Amino acid sequence: MTFDGHRWHWAGRFGLLILLLASPLLAHHSFAMFDHARTLNLKGVVTRFQWTNPHAYIELDVTDAKGTVTHFSVECTSINMMQRAGWRSNMIKAGDKVKAVVAPLTNGDPGGLLLELTLPNGQTLEPGVPAANTYKRTPEQQ
Amino acid sequence: MKAAKCTLAIACIVVLATPVCGLAQARGSASVPDITGSWERNGRGAAAGPPNTAPPPAPQPQLKPQYLKERQAAQQAARDADAKGKPLATNATLCLPEGMPGMMGATFPMEILQSRGQVTVIEEAFTQVRRIFLDQSQKALDDVEPGFYGYSVGRWEGDTLTVDTIGVKEDVRYQNVPHSAGMRVKERIHLVAPDILWDEITIDDPVTLEKPWTYTIAYKRMPDYKLLEYICEDNREFADANGLQQIRIGPAAR
Repeated sequence: MTFDGHRWHWAGRFGLLILLLASPLLAHHSFAMFDHARTLNLKGVVTRFQWTNPHAYIELDVTDAKGTVTHFSVECTSINMMQRAGWRSNMIKAGDKVKAVVAPLTNGDPGGLLLELTLPNGQTLEPGVPAANTYKRTPEQQ
Repeated sequence: MKAAKCTLAIACIVVLATPVCGLAQARGSASVPDITGSWERNGRGAAAGPPNTAPPPAPQPQLKPQYLKERQAAQQAARDADAKGKPLATNATLCLPEGMPGMMGATFPMEILQSRGQVTVIEEAFTQVRRIFLDQSQKALDDVEPGFYGYSVGRWEGDTLTVDTIGVKEDVRYQNVPHSAGMRVKERIHLVAPDILWDEITIDDPVTLEKPWTYTIAYKRMPDYKLLEYICEDNREFADANGLQQIRIGPAAR
């Protein structure tokens, strides 16, 4: 996995400011608690796919190279938005190995906002985060 | 005797015709447009739809100086908090509904139902419901308990549904605009194309506004869409003691 600490780039802050000024309120809370300047590329095992509002959650156990397991709570958008975008509650099950591109929490807690999910069958899904292309993606380390 | 028969005949016609007329009034007729169904916000960003159906740009409200200062300070505080990655908690953070007039912004799809004597608007986000009582007098403000949606009465004036709303709680705010308990929201809801609906909203509040604030929201018909349920079942965002938005990590223990 890629988890390169706590960084907060000025470019990301500026991009966030533009985003906040330009976009109408599309969600139930501010997205400023998520880092817009970097992403985590999490490969892990789903412990639960929680189909709820105001957000769905993917609970994920991620094991690093040393064998240490870190549990991440990955916030999705509203299940209403996800359903309109083609998501279903039975798409993901506990035990599934998935890859999640996540904007991490700025407070350092093991959680973040889901930008993209790859299912075990290779299918890629996006939850429809407003202005998702303004989150700077960190390349995946091979 | 002849007069009595005539009266009886007229009475029968009235009795037989009333339900039909009532239904026609409710669901659309030559005089009342059919706006029942699902709608989504239209014209946000690049406008889509037939020509001349995009709403005019929304102006800023002309607030009195002290309220303008209050709004600007609140907006700046929100921007500063966001820039630090520590956003301020809002009503929305707490899963409270938008109320009036915010819910008419149609964050998610919206359903309009025309029934006898009432038009009902249901906003999918937060399952918000407002009822517009037709052809009734507006109440005195003192007779309306403050709420998120206030008390709405309306009437069809030609092809336009005009609505008058009072009694919105002062802390139920749209775009951080301060208002008093005496705020009045007037709406003119009408089709500008067969599948494009406008809601021209005018907010009047002599306490906070220099002059009434008018803006228009446009909607596009969603012929096959059925509204989904929306329950804030597990809201992990919360406000801490400093009024900042925080998030709980991990599922609820239940």
